[in-house]
Amino acid sequence: MYWNKESETPQRESLERLQLQRLNSTLEKAMQAPFYRDSLGRNGFRRLSSLREVSQLPFTTKADLRNAFPYGFLAVPLENIVRLHSSSGTTGNPTVIYHTREDIETWQDLVARCMYMTGMRSTDVFQNMMGYGLFTGGLGFHYGAEKLGAMTIPIGPGNSRRQIWFMREFGTTVIHVLPSYALRLATHVRELGLDPRKDFKLRMAYVGAEPHTEETRRRIEETWGIKAYNSYGLSEMCGPGVAFECTEQSGMHIWEDQFLAEIVDPETGANLPEGECGELVLSSIGRAGTPLLRFRTRDLTRFLSGPCPCGRTHRRIDRIQGRSDDMMIINGVNIFPMQIEQTLMRISGIGANYQIEIHEDNYMDKLHVRVELAPETFAGTLGQVEGLQGKVCAALKEETGVTPVVKLLEAGSLPAAEGKAVRVVDLRKQPRREC
Amino acid sequence: MAFHLSIFVVNEPGKLEKITRVLTEKGLNIRAVSMASTGEFGVVRVLVNDPDAGLAALRENRFTVVKRRILVALIEDRPGSMHELLVTLAARSVNVEDCYGFVIDEGKRAAIVFEVEKFPEAERSLAGTSVRLIADSEIYRL
Repeated sequence: MYWNKESETPQRESLERLQLQRLNSTLEKAMQAPFYRDSLGRNGFRRLSSLREVSQLPFTTKADLRNAFPYGFLAVPLENIVRLHSSSGTTGNPTVIYHTREDIETWQDLVARCMYMTGMRSTDVFQNMMGYGLFTGGLGFHYGAEKLGAMTIPIGPGNSRRQIWFMREFGTTVIHVLPSYALRLATHVRELGLDPRKDFKLRMAYVGAEPHTEETRRRIEETWGIKAYNSYGLSEMCGPGVAFECTEQSGMHIWEDQFLAEIVDPETGANLPEGECGELVLSSIGRAGTPLLRFRTRDLTRFLSGPCPCGRTHRRIDRIQGRSDDMMIINGVNIFPMQIEQTLMRISGIGANYQIEIHEDNYMDKLHVRVELAPETFAGTLGQVEGLQGKVCAALKEETGVTPVVKLLEAGSLPAAEGKAVRVVDLRKQPRREC
Repeated sequence: MAFHLSIFVVNEPGKLEKITRVLTEKGLNIRAVSMASTGEFGVVRVLVNDPDAGLAALRENRFTVVKRRILVALIEDRPGSMHELLVTLAARSVNVEDCYGFVIDEGKRAAIVFEVEKFPEAERSLAGTSVRLIADSEIYRL
């Protein structure tokens, strides 16, 4: 039932003792990184005598990570690093997280713990439909499943026909998938004349990387006749494996032996009483390569109170309710409006005003970017305008990794750039925001 | 040099009507209209009797519009005359980029409006052929 009973079911006092001890040793390690040497050194760093004192430490933000590019957060000699993961995009510096061999091993173990918790065993066949590469979703689950001992099919995302072929031929029992893709895949299954509930050995899906509603999860379960479990992670902490649902499917256990979690008011940064919804702030307390203190995840959630019937003593967080910044998640890909704005500004022939619309069609997100043709550059031919449209589309694809629908409009069609123009319109059915 | 107007429009009901309204209000006479579209957006060509006035009026109304140079050929309104014109253009390697036409007197005369790739060259290479290019001053009076 437990991957590691001792780690998963400690008494709260001993878990908190472990957290304090790991937090203090992380503080020490973090001091080796130039960024923390500056920020903590200035504020008179000392060992903390209680977990509550963590709120005296400054926050770390994504902007800090970008500004300290490339090595400002590296806390060990480079020779001890075996891998890096990084955000995509070329607007501004990417955020880079370094992993030592021990970091990778701890991460694998956490992901294996998550999978084992839901009932996955070495006899399972695991098909990983997430992107491999710099994105942590694919590799994180891959190594976790191998650690657990299940046969892993590193198929990556897309190509539904091939996904279905592998699932059938190898009797896939567990998949890791974007929630939207789980539903789209089922429509492809039906197009092939197959029944997702009867013609597969599938019994579980791990869904994450994009916000989704409880209704979507239930629909995935019903469509495939399986259990679907929510997964939460972020590359700054390691990747997937930060928090995960147990078979109770009532909130995600956040692995407090590795991460110190706080919920803060996104406006003031003040810690909120347990149970209130706010921004999740995480400190990685078991990592060496890039330890982060009080990282602002921008994800909105809350702690769920009370013990979990599964027996694990790690607290649970609610499904992610939204973001406290303007980050958009398009089919699992994280995109900031600023990336789009800066890309558009580099292209001549279009005006300064733009608008982003996120549509949903057949469980797939579609990014629409509306821009104006700059009248002074119009030469009068359709070919020129079509060429410009193609150029904008290619530039946005290169920057964001997502192929947008580019709508070219006449000058004056969009709200002017001054003031608080609404730049992003999300037309998807979103998880209800309770914060 | 003769010109028509080239206007960028998004494909939406009422867009063309706005163009003709602006031109009507200025008392401009539309001789011919043509449109090329991707389905999402298009470029409308309008031949009016005073392209500069049309350009100013449309710009005033925030249209994305430019003047583009044209050649206008006069042909007979009978079977085969368009073909004869194109044979000559092909023989002289004149590349047509845009083209539309309209009848002036039914059964007698029609005008064919061209945008061609290379302007003075195209004009020169058609001199001495059977193609009757209309003088600029006449075009707007058609």
